[in-house]
Amino acid sequence: MNALRVVIAVVSVGAVSVAGIYLAAWVDLLVGRAVAGLEVRPLDALSAPLRWGAATALKTRTTTERPDAETWALAPALLAALAAVGLAAVPLAPGLLAADVANGIVLFGAAMALVVVAVFLQGWSPNSPLPMIGGYRFIAEGLSYEIPLAVVLIAAALPARSLAIAPIVTSQEHLWNIVRQPLGLPLYLMAGLGLAFWGPLALPEGQDLAGGSSLETSGVSRILWRTAQLLVLVAVAAMGAAVFLGGWLGPLFPGAAWMIVKTIILLVPLIATRHFVARVPTERYVVVSWAILIPLSLLDVFIAGIQALVAAR
Amino acid sequence: MGVKAALARLAAGAPARCFAVVGAEADEIAPWLRLDPELVIVDSPRAADVLLVLGQLDDEMVRAAAGVHDALPPPRGVVSWSPGGERPVSWPFTDDVRVDDPAQIPAACRRLRDELLSGRRASSPDILPDIDPAPWRGVGPFGQGGAGMTGGVPYGRPLAARADDRDGLKLDQILVRVGPYLPPFPSGLVLDVKIQGDVIQEVSIPTPAAVAPDLISAGAHSAGAHSLTGERALFNAAVTQPVPVADIEVARARHHLVWLAEALRVSGLEAYGRRVLKLARTVRPEAAEPVDDLSRWLRRNVSLRWGTSGVGMVSASRAAALPGGPVARAAGDGRDARSLDPAYERLGFTPVVLEDGDALARWRVRVDEAQQALALAQRAGESLTTPIGLVEGPCGPIGGERSTSAALVTMLPELLVGMEWGDAVTTVVSLDIDMAEAALPHDAAVASRAS
Amino acid sequence: MILNVTFWAFSALAVFSGWRVFRADSMVRAAYWLLLSFAAVGIILVLLKAEFLGLILILMMGGEMTIMAVFMVAFMMNPAGLNPMTMVHRNSVAIVAGVVSFLAIAALGLFARFPVARAPAGVDPTRKLGVELLGNSMLVFQTAGVTLLAAMIAAIAISSARGRYGDADQGSVEPDQMVTAPAGDVAAAAAHDPAPVISPGVHQ
Repeated sequence: MNALRVVIAVVSVGAVSVAGIYLAAWVDLLVGRAVAGLEVRPLDALSAPLRWGAATALKTRTTTERPDAETWALAPALLAALAAVGLAAVPLAPGLLAADVANGIVLFGAAMALVVVAVFLQGWSPNSPLPMIGGYRFIAEGLSYEIPLAVVLIAAALPARSLAIAPIVTSQEHLWNIVRQPLGLPLYLMAGLGLAFWGPLALPEGQDLAGGSSLETSGVSRILWRTAQLLVLVAVAAMGAAVFLGGWLGPLFPGAAWMIVKTIILLVPLIATRHFVARVPTERYVVVSWAILIPLSLLDVFIAGIQALVAAR
Repeated sequence: MGVKAALARLAAGAPARCFAVVGAEADEIAPWLRLDPELVIVDSPRAADVLLVLGQLDDEMVRAAAGVHDALPPPRGVVSWSPGGERPVSWPFTDDVRVDDPAQIPAACRRLRDELLSGRRASSPDILPDIDPAPWRGVGPFGQGGAGMTGGVPYGRPLAARADDRDGLKLDQILVRVGPYLPPFPSGLVLDVKIQGDVIQEVSIPTPAAVAPDLISAGAHSAGAHSLTGERALFNAAVTQPVPVADIEVARARHHLVWLAEALRVSGLEAYGRRVLKLARTVRPEAAEPVDDLSRWLRRNVSLRWGTSGVGMVSASRAAALPGGPVARAAGDGRDARSLDPAYERLGFTPVVLEDGDALARWRVRVDEAQQALALAQRAGESLTTPIGLVEGPCGPIGGERSTSAALVTMLPELLVGMEWGDAVTTVVSLDIDMAEAALPHDAAVASRAS
Repeated sequence: MILNVTFWAFSALAVFSGWRVFRADSMVRAAYWLLLSFAAVGIILVLLKAEFLGLILILMMGGEMTIMAVFMVAFMMNPAGLNPMTMVHRNSVAIVAGVVSFLAIAALGLFARFPVARAPAGVDPTRKLGVELLGNSMLVFQTAGVTLLAAMIAAIAISSARGRYGDADQGSVEPDQMVTAPAGDVAAAAAHDPAPVISPGVHQ
């Protein structure tokens, strides 16, 4: 019975991954076309990610002069695996949880902390200067978003008095964390953008580096890298929906439907930032993160702590 | 085989991904390719199906283009266009698809891509020999080309050096040659950069300029009718003969908008850049509202201000050393060749001047000048410029002893030192360097064009 | 059964990747072999029901090993790690130290008497850990934490270019090392500059 449930959960994580990646790519295309002032044509755009994938898959996976070939091949797979682990930590419906651990939020944090390793290796391994700068940049970026990310997640866990995600969701029965901890979700989404090196925080892959850490990547590796990046975004949105928007809680419809709707509500703005907010210079991002975002996240956890103390009386 | 064919059929619906190598005489064509739905201009050759070689390349640039070609993952191909249909003697692309009419470029790329992916056409072979830059094999205990920790040339490349960093520590420093085809840089700009992490410690310019004069002159006389319609030809003509003010000013507005589109793209706002590029193509003095909206949007966008304010400061003394142009005007130097022209005086022209001297000020000066240019064009009616031997081009005065672009290139090494890579790119983009202009012995070029 | 197989697999992985740290010829690789070794230990901790500790070990080590790799690359005589370098030095000493410490740990494992008290069911180890950290052992951990924080701030202050006495690249020196002018000029300088010129280290 238990095993069957795990199998169902793993399969649904797979399905959510594929659907989420595709949705993310599609939304990105649509928002981009709308901002560019082109006809949006959503149905046409539906096949565009597939066509891009087919065209890219037909290209050879090239190499550079003396790359670290093993770690280069490993990096996209590692990123995809970490994103999948992060998504597996999120309960998609009551009892539907692939990675059923007592410290789900720590598991998510651990998987996301290793994203730095994947991106750094992707930039370092090709033995090429611009990707290497991209890899270095992501370390500075990672050190800046990881602390706010961890702290706001801990704050979200406080009212539940548990590090497992399901109790965090049920603790929002009466009041969602987005209301209880108004600083939490914005800080979390900002950190999530950094985690997925997307849009304004695409520092390792900026146009100023002509693609940066993925500049030298071609063929199947490029497909895997892009999809893994989108999967990180999906995992961030799903976790945000679970711990800030009350996860599966909601009237009338089944929990899974609410979870999907809430994930999409977070995923679309995350994707759209790429077309509205310019890339932030690395140094300014680091300064702002340490001088503003980290203190704000500490404030967030203090507020949550005081609320928990008051609630305990 | 079946899977491959199915993938190729699926891929046939996608736009062709091209890496563009832009030489002289192609700056009227290259920017607009980004608007074509059949093409995607990509930032990295590794992401491209087709190498697009546009315009006239000198030997140096041809060699660099061959290197770019070899970086394209097979199956790959080359589409080339050059204004006179001529190719230099050293042309390395033996199986390129040659296009005579620039309007045919997108279709040619798409067709070539389809043929390549479906296997109907063979991938173009490597051009450069796959040899190590320095012998290393078999040398040293691991056969890596060096003994000990710092000896020799491991794998054919010299080890990184060590140099003081900003905090007085000794850290690794590598020497990188960037250009001439690095996408955020003006095509043809080559810099030797010593970087430590992503901080630039030293910049030098290896060759005086990328475009050789003999090729330019060959291009100029063979280009013929094409050049006359171009923006460059229009501004050059105005040095010696009267030209409608409206034409000049619309061309200026268009140039600034094309520049803005590229600057937005490099800032990460690719889609918005495309919108601006579309606006640049259709811009008319009677319909200036979209440019006004654009200017408002730019002022409101905090993220763009973040990335540009305080970046790439050009001091007043440096500005004074420039021949003129928007870069100087953004640093409080009000020189503008139009102030000398009685025709502009009648239109009530006063130059746009900002004081800050940073990249943000340069962005604003150009957008304001684009707005002003459209207003001038509307007021100008049929009036003509007065040929006074000096014309205010979009990058600076034309007809003087030295072009602004050349002065800016020589200024780069001092300007970029100490910057982080991202700020350096923002700075280079904000200077709007025209490499063809920078490479020319200025008055000679004007003479050859005007004749 | 599955638990046993997993335990032995990850133990083997931890030992193997620990060995690879010293065989790798690149500093980045060495750092990540070490990370892999730590991750395997983290998973063993999870198998031992110390889930929180295991996961937090992986979480912390991910960032730490990356920083270590970058610092090694930046500081080493072999920047960028291009020339293969050996990760072992002073072999004879290392062999002796390695064998001795292995024997010591092995002896500990074989001969020490471990308590066999089973943890009572229904105990949440994470909770117990939290109570321990912020209960009886609070003083120890908080003292260690504050000391580490102070050390980090001090390290940054020492290495930063923007020092107390101006930028390092502007030749800032602490007042002790300043060459001061004769007494008369000090008075003149003091009159000129409202801030008093104090140089305790210089005798006149």
